[in-house]
Amino acid sequence: MIDWELALFLLFSVIEVLSAIFTVTARKMVKAAFWLLITLVTISGIYILLRAEFVAMIQILVYAGAVPTLFVFGIMLTRSKILEEGEAPETR
Amino acid sequence: MSGSILTPGLVGICRALVEIILGVVKAIFDALQLPGVGSWFVSSGVVVFCTYLIAALVMLLWAAMINLLLVLWVERKLYARIQDRRGIMLGFPWPWSKKYKSGMTNVGWGFLQNVADGVKLLQKENLTPAVADKLMFHAAPAMIVSSTLMVFAVMPFSEGLYYAKVSLGILFILASLSIAPLAILIAGYSSNNKYTLLGGLRAAAMMMSYEIPLILCVIAVVVLSGTLDPFQMVAAQERPLYGFLPSWNVFSIPQMLGFVVFFIALVAELERVPFDIPEADAELVEGWTTEYSGMRYGLLFGFKWLRALAGTGLMVILYFGGWSGPVFATFNVLGYPIPILPQEFWFLLKVYVSFMFIVLLSWSIPRIRIDQLLKIGWNRLIPLALLAILGATVFKTMGWF
Repeated sequence: MIDWELALFLLFSVIEVLSAIFTVTARKMVKAAFWLLITLVTISGIYILLRAEFVAMIQILVYAGAVPTLFVFGIMLTRSKILEEGEAPETR
Repeated sequence: MSGSILTPGLVGICRALVEIILGVVKAIFDALQLPGVGSWFVSSGVVVFCTYLIAALVMLLWAAMINLLLVLWVERKLYARIQDRRGIMLGFPWPWSKKYKSGMTNVGWGFLQNVADGVKLLQKENLTPAVADKLMFHAAPAMIVSSTLMVFAVMPFSEGLYYAKVSLGILFILASLSIAPLAILIAGYSSNNKYTLLGGLRAAAMMMSYEIPLILCVIAVVVLSGTLDPFQMVAAQERPLYGFLPSWNVFSIPQMLGFVVFFIALVAELERVPFDIPEADAELVEGWTTEYSGMRYGLLFGFKWLRALAGTGLMVILYFGGWSGPVFATFNVLGYPIPILPQEFWFLLKVYVSFMFIVLLSWSIPRIRIDQLLKIGWNRLIPLALLAILGATVFKTMGWF
């Protein structure tokens, strides 16, 4: 009756594309890292639908577990105020 | 050396139950002269869906309610006894006991105290700080909870009590435990509070840096066992080693070092004292969970212990031979062999003994500073873990194991 694989693929794709759009249009940088996490986790879901379970696990372990955290640390170490807004600092 | 109390498996039992119930529903609809609806109820799609739904509920009830309450009770009683006091004592009023007059009592074995705490947290107000980032503030507990519960879909408690037989089980458990540092960071950041931000950053740094030795030690075990499947890993540890010792991975020579490193990294991943700096009670109020109140806080609080259960379960599967243990006798009840000491018993015994050791460690050692902590993680544990991998690889290629 319902093709569950197609339905799941559409669901994951919609979530992923929307969160990718929110990633690049976010004002605050930590929010962008949060949306990036959502994007990467849904990509892992699509890998499972493609019968590539190992790649899906590695995607969660490496990408969703470490990459956004490293982004936030990079933001933290290169800002004048801790984790404040994402606008460029004023030139003196 | 085998024998689970759930011989057809959790999913098998749930399927039999669901078929009985749906058969009754079909009979009802047939009696009402709607045979089409009745036969839809016993079609294979509905049966499979209901089977997995009920099996998931049973597994969650078992792991996340019964075992969580037991783990909480064990911890609170044990650390009270370490401190030479009696601990939580809100007991159940057994009607035949002379001591209890009526109602709940303060003289008892304390199992109801955790339930009372849960009810207290349920009826508190769920506050959201006004300038907090609403989406991330609400999403962070959901991420922590869901990533911890995913572990119990894959982690088998015995050869019968499991939900899904995934051939990449160990990798799945590690992957779902690794979403937590980022979720904690988001929780700390979105509370808009300097102290929670500090706690969240420290937690993310600590947990990320201790995931590396954790995963490296798992690699060492996987090199020796040759499989990522928890069932095969436990089956490989059931042979007797020197005639009387079971060949658990912790006794094999390259794994002793790996076990020590894994244990230290696990205690750090679970945010227990000595590695308690993210929620240092005396310094940061409650660390990254300060702004959470009500049941959101209850979830984060309870899931710290559920992660402890998942982590010690992983450790028991990898190093202590999982659910293998001597079965002394087996009854035959209606054709099903029921062992006296089933595999679930051995698994839970090992998990709870390991957990008690972690509690003893937690409540006897002072907290480590954040810079010492990161120094231990990066400078000391990673070389030792790499040494464990080297030893495991040497043993495997030489065929000594």
